[in-house]
Amino acid sequence: MATAEKPFIRQDGKDKVTGLGRYTADLDMTGMLQAKFRYSDHAHARITRIDTSKARALPGVFAVITHEDVPDVRYGPFVQDRRLFAKHKVRYEGELVAAVAALTDEIAQRAVELIEVDYEPLEIVSDVEAALQPGAPLLHEDWASYGASEDVVREGNDCSRSTILKGDPEKGMAEADIVVKERYVADMSHAVPIEPHAVVAQWQGDRVTIWSSTQVPFIARSGVATTLELPEAHVRIVVPHLGGGFGGKCEFHYEAQVAALARVAQRPVRLVFSRREEFLAPDHRREGQVLELETGVRRDGSIVARRGRLILDNGAYSADAPFFPQLAAMMAAGPYKIENVFVDASLAYTNTTPSGSVRAPTAPQACWALEQHMDSVAGQLGMDPVEFRRRNIVKNGDEGPTRQVFEDIGAAETLERAVELIGYGKELPEDEAIGVAVGWWPSFGIASGAYVKINGDGSATIITGAQECGTGAVMALPLLAAEILGMEPESFSLLYQDTDAGPFDSGASGSQTTFNNGRAVMAAANDVREQLLDLAAEQLEANRDDLELKDGAVSVKGSPTKSVTIPELAEAAHGSTLLLGRGADAVPEMPASDAAGCTGRLGMESFLAPTFITHAVRCKVDRETGVVRVLEVAAVHESGRVLNPIGANGQVEGGVVMGIGMATLEGSLLGEDARQLNPHLLDYKLQTASDSPPIHIGWVDSPTKPGAGGPKGSKGIGEPPCVPTPGAIANAIAQITGARVHELPMTPARVWEAMQR
Amino acid sequence: MSAESYTAAASVEEALEAMAAGARPIAGGTDLVVGARGGKAPLPDALVAIHRVSELRGIREQDGGLVLGALATHADIVASSTACERFTALADASAIVGSHATRNAGTIGGNVMNASPAMETGGPLICFDAVATLRSASGIRRVALADLFTGPGRTVAEPGELLTELALPAPKDGTGSCYARLEYRRQMEIAIVGATAVVTLDGGTVRDARIAITALAPTIHRVAEAEQALNGSDASDAAVHAAADAAAGASRPISDVRGSADYRRAMAAVLTRRAISTAITRARGGRFPIPASPALHGAVNGGAA
Repeated sequence: MATAEKPFIRQDGKDKVTGLGRYTADLDMTGMLQAKFRYSDHAHARITRIDTSKARALPGVFAVITHEDVPDVRYGPFVQDRRLFAKHKVRYEGELVAAVAALTDEIAQRAVELIEVDYEPLEIVSDVEAALQPGAPLLHEDWASYGASEDVVREGNDCSRSTILKGDPEKGMAEADIVVKERYVADMSHAVPIEPHAVVAQWQGDRVTIWSSTQVPFIARSGVATTLELPEAHVRIVVPHLGGGFGGKCEFHYEAQVAALARVAQRPVRLVFSRREEFLAPDHRREGQVLELETGVRRDGSIVARRGRLILDNGAYSADAPFFPQLAAMMAAGPYKIENVFVDASLAYTNTTPSGSVRAPTAPQACWALEQHMDSVAGQLGMDPVEFRRRNIVKNGDEGPTRQVFEDIGAAETLERAVELIGYGKELPEDEAIGVAVGWWPSFGIASGAYVKINGDGSATIITGAQECGTGAVMALPLLAAEILGMEPESFSLLYQDTDAGPFDSGASGSQTTFNNGRAVMAAANDVREQLLDLAAEQLEANRDDLELKDGAVSVKGSPTKSVTIPELAEAAHGSTLLLGRGADAVPEMPASDAAGCTGRLGMESFLAPTFITHAVRCKVDRETGVVRVLEVAAVHESGRVLNPIGANGQVEGGVVMGIGMATLEGSLLGEDARQLNPHLLDYKLQTASDSPPIHIGWVDSPTKPGAGGPKGSKGIGEPPCVPTPGAIANAIAQITGARVHELPMTPARVWEAMQR
Repeated sequence: MSAESYTAAASVEEALEAMAAGARPIAGGTDLVVGARGGKAPLPDALVAIHRVSELRGIREQDGGLVLGALATHADIVASSTACERFTALADASAIVGSHATRNAGTIGGNVMNASPAMETGGPLICFDAVATLRSASGIRRVALADLFTGPGRTVAEPGELLTELALPAPKDGTGSCYARLEYRRQMEIAIVGATAVVTLDGGTVRDARIAITALAPTIHRVAEAEQALNGSDASDAAVHAAADAAAGASRPISDVRGSADYRRAMAAVLTRRAISTAITRARGGRFPIPASPALHGAVNGGAA
């Protein structure tokens, strides 16, 4: 067994399990103040007056700040459409108008309530289709003047539009024997990490250290530097243990507001979100979608054409969602051979919490719609839904929606293994059925760096910019280095999630930690390995090419007695040239595609090292109540080469349970005032351990070519496991009840209502 | 969320003295503290903790009936063989309140005095003719549970009165009971629709039926029409259906994030029917798992069942 495949105990495990681990909200400092935000009183309104004088006069209040107290800078990764604090308008219920730092939470809360804000309410736009109607009130009247990436196609409330065009969809549809057109609607949902957002900021002179519950410390640093107009070298972001993120803590959130409070107050300031705030103002929730899908098929089950119109909900401001339309369009085409494709996807501004990447953004919802649609088409054909997929799923040499040619993939194998694992076709009670769904997801190649240093006693330290969000991806980095250096993973310490220490990494997002930082750590370990071999050659007076490094020592091949241990080499190095490795591996090239007919190209026109997934789910429906129970799940993934089975299986188990939650219960409801009606865990129902069914996991081994994927031909694994689960459950429900549920989540009431129709 | 003063009483008398001075009692804190954290209502200015008052603890049998100390937890009730065998609906309800942690910390006294129209144990206690003992610095009185609740979060208790115990008289021979709840998930659930049935059979005939509905009106209450449909009947499916439909007809459900009024009304009939059927099964000596709700939803997979 290679070192990387051995079971190991992660370094942060004991702290987290025993409760000793310190999270951002646990930090305490002498003189520290508590922060509270004043949120908007309306989902859409013009601000006519802000008066903070009463709040400032309250004893115990050290700072009250508004847009007037920070640089007038608009920010956003694709479209710069927002400020740290509202200036002229508020556009959703969780928008910040002011912030307070005071001695206690209670004083801060009282001060927040004393801030007087006058508004002129404006017409609310909360429906994505209404937002794109001609004459709809514009959320951003000055949208055209905003700074934005050149590739973003924008127009009024449509913040980002992408199309995918392949072949001649009109002609293809006309040639089809059967055409099926359907409409699906997915509600907004949330990441719901167990740890709500927390930020602590402390200044020393003109430099600030910010402890933050972020998944992306370098992006947070850049956000603070931009909005407070500071050099990045004056901003240090440190992440204590992170209590989960699931995307909800990607992007730049409240680090700058807390830093600005701390600067005015001249004291350290701590912000800790309540669960309610975590729902209303996370700045990153899963977007709702409206999907119209149309498919033309021949009698033999081959797909001739696919058309789609998708409208995604951006919320009031743009986080990283502008690339979602292109990604969702790829998802609406799916991992199938289709000669003619046209998908038109828009991202609509609405007066709701901003959307952003939440675990596999766009995919679970789009896959839920597409895979139900695939079953509907199979039904019209009178064909078994698995057989219909079998005839259309992509194989090596096939072309994707943008004519990317697939190599070294195992999509079809995931389908076969999943139906085998679940026992597809076996006899079941009349209130049970098996639903199947197929999905796919790209890997993201992004620059990332690491250092490896050998300490004086022969132990080693990995210094990385990578962020551990709980998945174990950073914790597993020593496995990769240990294998290269002939050492034990336990011999490594880790310095991570500190922007002043590690080289750049894009954070715990995009399933990219092992994929990119794993390659960087391997490069750094190889750099040190070369240094060790050079030094050993000197010490052993041997030819460098005759040396081998294993089991903690360098020896001459064939003469095991001529050997020097790593501790001996380390000691020698500490008397001369230190053993310091640096790693920054080249980013894999994007596969070629033909996106000539596509608009709004934001990097998703082909999928780097795509991963393929099939979930087969056995469900039971209580026909009288509509309550759905997931009894058993078979989850088979092709993720290139699996490096660490314990970690990979953990991702699948968590992703499947998250997918069950999205399928059956998780969704936010909005009132007419565009306020969330269930911003708390009593009525936003997550799955519990008791709801988790047995999950049978399978892996299709299909490593990428060297340089085309992650370490050893691996692919990203964090996000894919929640992609096909909702679609598979939906298909099981439809088989049991004979009624398709066109709304996500498929709550008991919705399942029951579908059965009444 | 902050209380200005907190004292821990060592005896009922000490607790009553503190309450006479304006303090509110706290035991498990599963409603008060959670509610304050969630922004539902701030903590009272003065709190008197009663969790160390030993005379308020425990469950005992009395003349074939049951006496529950105010500090009896939901877990204590589920662990009581008397509750499980003769007051089965109360065990059904106690076993599905919140989570494992809620059931271990939450007390029956707190659950009753919180007076939520969605509380699980309310229906069973009403149907079993439970009587609450309310004590204050100036006296003692007994109030039937059916008369205790006056609205959501409201009871007839005066500010200085402490619920010290609940007494449930012995059920008649031939009685079976069940509490059934609509459950969207397996733990941490709250009643969206709940139904209690306590049915006494005499030979093949229903001698006495008690049916209450939960989360379907501002207070939990018995439904006379449903009971009449069952009383004197042969406990046939037709009679059970008629009773269930009567319960649904008597419901006054609201539409909110947890479900529409139409769905709730339809579920009132389903859950009441399931509760009555299970109560009849138990009255006939048949076995049915406690708690009944997961099994009634078709428990199969791992976890609680």
